[in-house]
Amino acid sequence: MTTTDLEALAVLTRDYAAFQARKSGLATALGGLMAVLFLTAPMYVDALGIRLMGRYLLEYLLFAPFVWLALKTILGRVLYRDLGDVKAIPDAAYERRRWFWILGITLFIGVFLILGILGFASGFLHAIPAGACVTMPSLGALWLPLLYLAPTPWMLRGIEEARAYAVLVGECMLWFLASFLAFWSVRPYGNPSMEAASTVVQIVLVLLLLAILIWSALAMVRGWKEHREYLAILRSMPRES
Amino acid sequence: MNKSGASPKAILDLDRMVHEPARLAILTVLASAEEVAFLFLQRVTGLSKGNLSSHTQKLEAAGYLETVKAFQGRIPVTSFRITEDGRVALRAYHQQLRALLPKEGKP
Repeated sequence: MTTTDLEALAVLTRDYAAFQARKSGLATALGGLMAVLFLTAPMYVDALGIRLMGRYLLEYLLFAPFVWLALKTILGRVLYRDLGDVKAIPDAAYERRRWFWILGITLFIGVFLILGILGFASGFLHAIPAGACVTMPSLGALWLPLLYLAPTPWMLRGIEEARAYAVLVGECMLWFLASFLAFWSVRPYGNPSMEAASTVVQIVLVLLLLAILIWSALAMVRGWKEHREYLAILRSMPRES
Repeated sequence: MNKSGASPKAILDLDRMVHEPARLAILTVLASAEEVAFLFLQRVTGLSKGNLSSHTQKLEAAGYLETVKAFQGRIPVTSFRITEDGRVALRAYHQQLRALLPKEGKP
């Protein structure tokens, strides 16, 4: 046995362990695909005037991050544990970065929610139809964003996963504020629409759409590449002597 | 004393528990992770089940690794982790071997 063989064994072990601790392979690619679908499914762009489709579709889409978390867990168990569990040596620097992401998602949801409610209360109310009954968004509608935060410390093991989750949650927060709070706060219920949004808001939304599409494309390529790496690890395993 | 400057005694002083190729491979793999499943260790080293069990028992008796037995549902799963003594022995073995090997470019 040469030092090269030993180094190769060590690298193989570290790479395999990384798949169980940090890399998510196809789950990242799936996150990218879902981000595109969940961004484009409920809306259509009408010469920069963005319109949203039905309320019920939006309500289902708000559960997209949880669907992705469940699929990610299943994929991880089915695809990346062929040879049993290998726990990676803890990496303090990586763990710190992972917690920064989780903290980032938490702050993002918190700030988005506060600004959204304030903006909703001050701006949206001026555009409501005459005679509509307006209440502040029900506390019952606020549990969902808080629920987005609950699984983050346990279920987001890698930074790529945290990025995918952040994008999916970000999209849902957009839909949540754009329509869900409005449904819960204005009676009689109307159809969700952002037609009345200012040009600035419309441009920001289109830029956001482009940013998400670019990230999604990169995530799909990166995830697929990671998956190929994993298959290469399996192929490079020696046969039993 | 040979050309590399190492005495025959230094060669004989190599830790034989680590020097055996299969055990060296096992310790190398274990040193690269926190905990390793039996199945992975078997595949990555290319050893048979019986061979691997025999070597891990010897390493455990020497205090270089510890066995972790757990259940995944109803299925028993055996994993191993290297001990601090095992890490020290592997590091010492690498240093000894490097000192014994001829320098680059010198046969």
